Amino acid sequence: MAHQMAVESEHVTADVIEATEFPDLARRYRVRGVPKIVVNDSIEFVGALPEPDYVAYVQSAIKSSGNGSGPKEQEP
Amino acid sequence: MGMIPERDSQAIREHFSENMTGDVEIVMFTERPSLIIVPGRETCETCEDTRKLLEEVSGLSEKVKLTVHELAAAREQAGDLGIDRVPAFVLKGAAKGSVRFFGMPSGYEFSAFIGDLVDASNGETDLSDDTRAFLGTLTEDLHIKVFTTPS
Repeated sequence: MAHQMAVESEHVTADVIEATEFPDLARRYRVRGVPKIVVNDSIEFVGALPEPDYVAYVQSAIKSSGNGSGPKEQEP
Repeated sequence: MGMIPERDSQAIREHFSENMTGDVEIVMFTERPSLIIVPGRETCETCEDTRKLLEEVSGLSEKVKLTVHELAAAREQAGDLGIDRVPAFVLKGAAKGSVRFFGMPSGYEFSAFIGDLVDASNGETDLSDDTRAFLGTLTEDLHIKVFTTPS
């Protein structure tokens, strides 16, 4: 879904990272389960979520950075 | 014997033919196997297999082009694309943002990669109208990292 967002928006950079090939990144981002999603290095969640929930997490990352708006009830 | 089973190759070829509208380029960064063992320097264990896999995928449609760079010889271009490790590749086509892979797209990620190629070719996805509306309101950059494993 991250890559789809990057296809749709010039503001999105989406990386799919194979954790076992890059153990340094897996350690830095404390990857213990997959898929693990990290947004703007501030919001993270694990597991395949339905699209509205996934987007809510992304929105909360924007909110936590001080701009935009995200639904309060979706704070991770 | 290729990396992709023949039956899957045929299915992907048909999928590309039926669903791709524009050209898409896979820009890959890799490193050549070294004949010299340098203490402390890790060799790229999946670079060759990743390159072979991408070559096979690019051979399944005239719309898919593969460009391979040695990271050491293309640091500037890699830096422009945010690539600092190998194997890694970027999908360039009609995607508006940056679609990057770090590591070999195998297992479940392989089918996601095939879908990404089609999306990057078309410049559109099957995301919901609500999600697209949200993306349309973005005024700042978002960087999403998705960690996966091969299985």
